[in-house]
Amino acid sequence: MATTLICLGAGGLGLIAMTVSSQGLLPHQASGEIRVTAPSLHFLTGKSLSRLHDGAAVPFDFQLIISSGSKNNVVARSLERFMVSYDVWEEKFSVVRVRDFRKSGMRLSAASAESWCLDNLFVPATGLPADQPLWARLEIRTVEPKELLAADSGINLTTLIEIFSRPSRPQQDRWSVESAPFQLASLKP
Amino acid sequence: MRLVLIPALAACTLLGQSITPDSGLADQAADQASGSADQERASDLNVNSRYTIESINFIDQREYKLSTSALEDIRRLIGAKVNSEALNLLTQRIRAELHAHEVTFKLTRGAAPEAVRVLIHVDRAAGAVDVSVPKLVYNSQLGFTGVAEVSSTLGSNALTFQMVRDSDSLIETMSGIQARYDRLSLAGGRIRLGFEFDAYEDQYNPSTLAAIEGAPRTSSLGAGLPAGLGAGAYGSRLNYEPSATFVLAGPLTLTVGLSFQQLSNLPSAARPESANAVISTLRYHQRWLGSGGNKQELDAGYSLRAATTLLGTNLAYTRHLAHARYSYARDAQSVELTVMAGAMYGQAPLFERFSLGNSAMLLGWNKYNLDPVGGNRLAYGSVTYGYHIMRVFYDAGSVWDPGKAPEARQSVGVGVSSGLGVLEKGAFLLALAFPLQDGHVTPVVIAGMNF
Repeated sequence: MATTLICLGAGGLGLIAMTVSSQGLLPHQASGEIRVTAPSLHFLTGKSLSRLHDGAAVPFDFQLIISSGSKNNVVARSLERFMVSYDVWEEKFSVVRVRDFRKSGMRLSAASAESWCLDNLFVPATGLPADQPLWARLEIRTVEPKELLAADSGINLTTLIEIFSRPSRPQQDRWSVESAPFQLASLKP
Repeated sequence: MRLVLIPALAACTLLGQSITPDSGLADQAADQASGSADQERASDLNVNSRYTIESINFIDQREYKLSTSALEDIRRLIGAKVNSEALNLLTQRIRAELHAHEVTFKLTRGAAPEAVRVLIHVDRAAGAVDVSVPKLVYNSQLGFTGVAEVSSTLGSNALTFQMVRDSDSLIETMSGIQARYDRLSLAGGRIRLGFEFDAYEDQYNPSTLAAIEGAPRTSSLGAGLPAGLGAGAYGSRLNYEPSATFVLAGPLTLTVGLSFQQLSNLPSAARPESANAVISTLRYHQRWLGSGGNKQELDAGYSLRAATTLLGTNLAYTRHLAHARYSYARDAQSVELTVMAGAMYGQAPLFERFSLGNSAMLLGWNKYNLDPVGGNRLAYGSVTYGYHIMRVFYDAGSVWDPGKAPEARQSVGVGVSSGLGVLEKGAFLLALAFPLQDGHVTPVVIAGMNF
């Protein structure tokens, strides 16, 4: 079961300066959960991809935010850390959900690995207002190796909230994508 | 008696950590895995953790000086499964020891299936300045030898400045400076360019001066023989040496370059004389760190220095030197074998001549007693056995000139060699060496650091 934090008010959003790609996020509803797809978003690129090809395991922190009424009114949030690695022999990607490492995707292409992460990120639809416009926003950040070494006790929800509450570092890769406004009732399963 | 000091290789431990799943999420508690299987799996978040580390090397093929404990950490990782956390900690440690800007690792396919090679990349872009003492030797017969070094790396550019006083390695006692620039990484790290400038003032043992004075004019001692006192003995020496090193295949490198040496303050000549040579060195240097705890190292090379009139030299000669050193260590025991052979033809200056009987070769003998002007033929061999910090060695060798029969000299010794924590990178040696000769044998005490 995914970790979900319901935030009533704008305080939980934080002030993260980042480039936002508008309306590239496509929400849908399944089994009482809101999930997203982002066909145009590719985060296995650049420096992170180089590190992966070098055989390192690269953690990615994900935050899925649902806002209601206005974009600043966060009503639901889901946070996850996924550890992505690249098999130097098989030349395939592997993804593990860090806080539940029994959840993993193996022998994936880059696009499949990206999709796997989004498939395992969702917020419950329960409690979301059905008659108000909603916005979904997805934020992704890489984790620097130094940060990983410092986090000797592993990752937890509090850590993830702290991570997304502070500005990203210049050397961190980060991505953000938003959906167009939608209504819960109109979401396709 | 002689004293020689060798630095200590220091110690710290590799604190391997693995990412563990968080147990603080109450609503995920049911999903959290428990038990040893899950704990084991927790460290396997990198898919490559199922592969075995075959070897660990530096990408740029440079010889970085690491502490013994860092080398021990490397040895422990070889043969074990890939552990990202342990590798990250190792790179952090190397970064700290080398004062590097960044140190990263890369995995590549190994020679065997299910095996990978670890390549470590050192980025010294921060321009940190290192101050070190690469060599410090005191020899009661030969005097004090020391090298102080300041070095800095800016990106792929390395600058090294050394102050040198060396009474040990050559026939002359030289005092001066060495300044060197290296362009470290060209053609993907396969080519390294360098330029070195050396300036020395030279002094001589009285027996050397006497031998030069007595040498016939047609001898091969070079540099303006004989014409008066100290002929062949220059008072100062300048060296301009551009070079390029090519990584041919892994541990095999080829260095080619030019050496323009200017010899001044010659009693026999009003003008400086020159010894301009083409230089080349083919070298193979490889370490093998076996998973069974054994450690092997082979360092072999051949160097040629050819001073030719095409370079406007006053002294024309060729100098060949081949060497090989092999060491094997397992648990507390180690064996090291060294062989060296050299030959020289033509009119070579003193600094090119071979000598034995110093702090590194044929320990226990005095090089001035063996041959005060050195020889132009060399043969040398050594074997050292070590158990824990104890060392026992046997040296044999000879320097001679053509037309004379080589006289084999031998020595044996016993000593201790160990790391000293405060010295961090290096080893300390205290040894007693006995030249094997008829009649009275005077043992020589050797204490050394970093040579």
